[in-house]
Amino acid sequence: MKSIFALVVIILAISFESVGAGDNLKTISLPQVNVELREGDGKAKTVTLCAVCHSLDYITTQPALTRAQWTGTMNKMIKVMGAPISEEDAGIITGYLTKQYGSGN
Amino acid sequence: MMSDQDLSRRTFLKVAGVTAALAASGGVPEGLFASEKRFARFPEKTDLIVLTSRPPQLETPMSHFRDLITPNESLFVRWHLANIPTSVDLNTWRLKVGGNTEKELQLSMEDLRKFEKVTYTAVIQCSGNSRSFFEPRVAGGQWEHGAMGNVTWSGARMKDILSMAGIKAGSVDVSFDGLDRPPLPTVPDFIKSLAIDKATEDDIIIAYEMNGVPLTMLNGFPARLIVPGWYATYWVKALSEIVVHTKTYEEFWMKPAYRIPDNACGCVPPGTTPKKTVPIHRMTTRSFVIAPAEKAELKKNVPVEIMGIAFSGGYSIRDVIVSVDAGKSWREASLGDDKGRYSWRQWFFPWRPQKPGTYTLMAKATNSIGESQPFEGLWNPAGYLWNKVEKTPVTVR
Repeated sequence: MKSIFALVVIILAISFESVGAGDNLKTISLPQVNVELREGDGKAKTVTLCAVCHSLDYITTQPALTRAQWTGTMNKMIKVMGAPISEEDAGIITGYLTKQYGSGN
Repeated sequence: MMSDQDLSRRTFLKVAGVTAALAASGGVPEGLFASEKRFARFPEKTDLIVLTSRPPQLETPMSHFRDLITPNESLFVRWHLANIPTSVDLNTWRLKVGGNTEKELQLSMEDLRKFEKVTYTAVIQCSGNSRSFFEPRVAGGQWEHGAMGNVTWSGARMKDILSMAGIKAGSVDVSFDGLDRPPLPTVPDFIKSLAIDKATEDDIIIAYEMNGVPLTMLNGFPARLIVPGWYATYWVKALSEIVVHTKTYEEFWMKPAYRIPDNACGCVPPGTTPKKTVPIHRMTTRSFVIAPAEKAELKKNVPVEIMGIAFSGGYSIRDVIVSVDAGKSWREASLGDDKGRYSWRQWFFPWRPQKPGTYTLMAKATNSIGESQPFEGLWNPAGYLWNKVEKTPVTVR
């Protein structure tokens, strides 16, 4: 328990805002949060391409979506959000998401 | 000095570690022990539930809503694009105002503070608050009810700023851009717009203070738009540029994003697609039981005060009715301090459970124009507007 408390204090000290005395500069540093995706075919491609624009918890916190929903999400990322992902890679990623984070239908 | 990896592992604590720390400080609600929620402490924030980290989407635990005013460190965080501002120098920051105006302004923080200062309390709520309760489930940020808060905002009136710039004839829309930037040039920048008549309403302000101090960086330092009564998607953070347009502004974040079905309920049969949509705007009426917390254990014949909150999209709360028997019978709660029509209102309901068993607490609010809450969730494909009467189960022993 003591170590957890010490840890919280350390985190506070490191990550809290800094406003320099007498100047108008305000700076924060964001904590790094690691997310591990499930093992499976297509994981490497998914990690590399999705993480260009967002953290991977955008995947892990979704409910178990249907194949149609994951396909729709993938299409939205490419056609609407401007992700430069080829059709072939999109197929691999959609396959991975449907299998590892899908509802099974 | 810890390595980056150490820091990341340690900063990001799974629920077990954080609840242990919180439990020691007496601040953790019972329900969290069983959950798989992830907590982390971001700059200027207390431990909040992490939905996503880059960009950050952080949710407030329900126990923080016992206070009438939500503390800055507790307020939820929601950004859209990975490149969020982490450093702002007020010596160089300027708010540009231009487009179809007589002149272009470059306002410093000092300039902003010279306008008449307006202060009021207003609920800020994400459009997708409570999305995780939609059935069938929908993609998007899986918020429970914690993407909301009640904050006292201070700032300058938008209409005072626009009249300094001089709105020219033929103006239709006003757009708002912030310092956040897309991770790639192909990704649409986050820009929102309001019709000119809405943007020049008395209560639309550019806030530079929340609860009496400068905004936290994650809530939009140095200044953000406040559109009280409307969903927070319009409350653009870290404002950098305001443009007056002679045509309807319909870029990505206005269309097709953030749209609701164009009908009275903003809903469609579950799983279907609306034929016509409009931009989301005013908030629906909501109420919550905050204490006792979900799954709390109470003692028979010991009086307890049930406490909660209620708010609506810019109209005052007329009444809140409460049921302790899963909706079979209802009685009116007494309302707490009135902080104005944009604030949430606390309500109180004394109760003395006489028999052991499981009870379902419910609250239903109605506002001054008769808007209330449905008993079943209304569905739309993006997961917006959720406001059904919620059920809070408790046990009496």
